[in-house]
Amino acid sequence: MTRHPTTIDDESLIAALRLASGSDPVPAQVTAAARAVFGLRLPGATTARSVVTPVPQGVRSAEGPRLLKFVAAELTVELEVTSLDGLVDLAGQISPCPEAGTLVEIRTPHLTESRALSPTGRFAVTGLPPGWFSVVCHRPEDLPVVTSWTRIRP
Amino acid sequence: MNTQSVLCGSEVPVSDQPTIEAVLAGDQAAWDALVTRFTGPLWSAVRAYDLSPADAADAVQGTWLRLLESLHTIRDPDRIGPWLFTTAKREASLLRRRHRGERLVADPVDTGHARSTPADAGHVHADPALAVLTADESRRLWQAVDEMHEPCRSLFRLMATAPDAGVHQLAGRLGMPSGSYGPTRGRCLNRLRTMLTTREATP
Repeated sequence: MTRHPTTIDDESLIAALRLASGSDPVPAQVTAAARAVFGLRLPGATTARSVVTPVPQGVRSAEGPRLLKFVAAELTVELEVTSLDGLVDLAGQISPCPEAGTLVEIRTPHLTESRALSPTGRFAVTGLPPGWFSVVCHRPEDLPVVTSWTRIRP
Repeated sequence: MNTQSVLCGSEVPVSDQPTIEAVLAGDQAAWDALVTRFTGPLWSAVRAYDLSPADAADAVQGTWLRLLESLHTIRDPDRIGPWLFTTAKREASLLRRRHRGERLVADPVDTGHARSTPADAGHVHADPALAVLTADESRRLWQAVDEMHEPCRSLFRLMATAPDAGVHQLAGRLGMPSGSYGPTRGRCLNRLRTMLTTREATP
């Protein structure tokens, strides 16, 4: 293995020291969560990637909802994110409006919520735990489209 | 020193091509093999950013979620390690930055990240973070620390063995003002880097 110690950053040096000292073992639930992640795979799905949404000028506080936008070749998922009492609410719009029978799943590593789309392509889910989430759009005639995993913390 | 926990050494070639093919085919056991090999080093890597156990767990889980959605673009097993470390360090650094302004935000997601990193990680062992997280390198590091003068030697030992101690507590145990801890740590890390570089030049 090639070594380039001259360019090791501080964090990597510290990580190596800690790893070798064995004094900061991985908590069992971290390993269990990493294994469980595999159950969330969606073979064949297209990933909708996040694109930067312009932040309204002069807005500094977190009072208003946060807007997220994910784009795949064939559709766009827009999300409005708000938080109440430490839980997260999502209101979404899929465009162009998908065919009838399209189902949306909002997934976290711990739970999955299913929603039928409104005739205009809207959906909402409330009370999600903070942390990682992803939205899947299951279409009757096509492979699913899934948004890139995103972390929300109140 | 417990070298049992060091699972990232080149002597444990788990992420070989059959493993990756099996993961792509949906084999949970193959995925578990990746998790077993890399979770320890990934945990250490994100904890080095002074993250709490909860935030570190979040960063590690996010790293595995990203691998899951990008796996088909990183079929080369040699790229998996560098890719995981690049991703984990990025998640950890985002989380640390967030501590300075807690509010409801989604972290800026992987605009270009997931697509560009596999290509960047093409220089297989060029990531020094990965190189240093091997059993050999870790032993070398601690040998170097043992040769250092105070306060560096004690500082590194404390830092490694008390991962959740705050700056105030660490400074107190080293008998220095809290304000001196950061700069001293920086100097010690630079010195350690220099020692490793010198050794590299004169094997």
